[in-house]
Amino acid sequence: MIVPIGPVHPGLKEPLRLKLETQGEKVLKAEIDYGYVHRGIEKIMEGKTWQKCIYLCERICGICSYEHTQSFAEVLELMAGEVVPPRAQFLRVIVNELDRIQSHYLANSTYFKTLDHEMLFMKVLELREYAMDSLELISGNRVNMGWNVVGGVRMDADEGHFKKILDNLKVIEDNHQRIVDMFSEGPVIGLRSKGVGLMSRDEALKGRAVGPIGRASGLKHDCREFHHTYKDYFDFEPIWRKEGDNYARTMNRFDEIPQSIDLIRQAIENMPKGDIRKPIEIKTGYYDWRNEAPRGEVRYMCETNGNLIKNISIRTPSINNIDSCAKYMLPGVATIADAMSTYASCDPCIACAERVQITDKAAKTVEVKEMY
Amino acid sequence: MLSRLKDIVRKTSINVCIINCGGCNGCDVELVACLSPRYDLEQYGIYLQNNPRDADILLLTGAVTEQWEDKLRRIYAKTPEPKVVLAVGNCPQSGDVFAQEGGRVNAPASNFIPVDAAVSGCPPRPSEIISAVLKVAPGAMLAKSQANREIEDYE
Repeated sequence: MIVPIGPVHPGLKEPLRLKLETQGEKVLKAEIDYGYVHRGIEKIMEGKTWQKCIYLCERICGICSYEHTQSFAEVLELMAGEVVPPRAQFLRVIVNELDRIQSHYLANSTYFKTLDHEMLFMKVLELREYAMDSLELISGNRVNMGWNVVGGVRMDADEGHFKKILDNLKVIEDNHQRIVDMFSEGPVIGLRSKGVGLMSRDEALKGRAVGPIGRASGLKHDCREFHHTYKDYFDFEPIWRKEGDNYARTMNRFDEIPQSIDLIRQAIENMPKGDIRKPIEIKTGYYDWRNEAPRGEVRYMCETNGNLIKNISIRTPSINNIDSCAKYMLPGVATIADAMSTYASCDPCIACAERVQITDKAAKTVEVKEMY
Repeated sequence: MLSRLKDIVRKTSINVCIINCGGCNGCDVELVACLSPRYDLEQYGIYLQNNPRDADILLLTGAVTEQWEDKLRRIYAKTPEPKVVLAVGNCPQSGDVFAQEGGRVNAPASNFIPVDAAVSGCPPRPSEIISAVLKVAPGAMLAKSQANREIEDYE
């Protein structure tokens, strides 16, 4: 029997159609239909200046909106062969990690919602608000911040801001462990999570899983390791697990939150003085840059002509994660309720993942061009 | 008599259904934040019920993409009367940044279904969404059901 789920469904935050081929309640095969949120962002960007494009980058995804503007700014900065002033780099790290905290909390709360654990859902959302407060304090807005520009950041932060952010982080840290214990020690919720939606390391490699989903299956890969700011100034080690089930994915996201808090504390402690922005002249050329969004590796391939964007191609982490979820995690799941929670555990963000694929079959070599 | 009783009940128990018809997800995140204990939508008698057949209010987010054109009409038809459509964010009103050359959106949403009220912002704050829902919902539902009843009486 084929069970269609979506596009509007209580378990789904965003429109998407899941087709589950089932025998009884056991899922044999899963298929995913995209295309409900395709807006053509990459096409709009062609032939525009960066001042217009950076707002479009932000609106690729509303949850990890910050990381997209940073990646877009960095790809143009690095194309010109320059690095922003150290104070701007540190401020970017602070906002990036705050964004990671709120995104991980949101992903886990959605997972608990699909498990019908209302209390953890509420508790996690409550903690998330403290991260949102800090984001609003430092950048001026909750979701689409418009804070990054090519060459630095738009606004400076002072000691008062840092003090308030540290206070908010203290609240998160005090309550975080209690919620993690509720999840990891609870017998029923553990039963629903442990051993469900298994994905081995080889399958994760084949499905190109990235971010916490790949790291939970034993792929020790974090783009922050190769990022110049983190490499030069910060003490950082990626967190990873071996189990590869729903429990490991959720715990991996929970474990990254104290690490992010630690990184923000390091940044505030060693905050250098100086400019937050410097003028950068955009050069003609091509550059390829990867960055670690909350969901994994986001890749920007950008070609410029003078100061105009000639061609841009963006690969977001969600497409890999949802695809590996459909191919490797969902088949073999015992019930449809578990299938929904398995889908939620891979932290899907459909707004990121929409793309058109043009395959040229007439030519002998199959050319694949991807765009949003 | 029965329909009047229904009106009183529905005034204090409103089910909303979120429909993301092609946005950046930011408004949906703020709608989820409305459920959090800080804002707590449920204390006002508003419940999240993502089934259009049970919903009273459709919360519309996102500029309307091509895939959604027929589905939006179908979902609107499925929702029982009286119903209110509230557009959340700039996208369903104008298309926001996506309504440019090259964009594949067909904003505004009022081309496809009647939109009763709108909250501007990209995205609007949770407090703004809640105040809009509270302001618009009970009155609009009552007015619509009364209008329906008058038509029925006339017939």
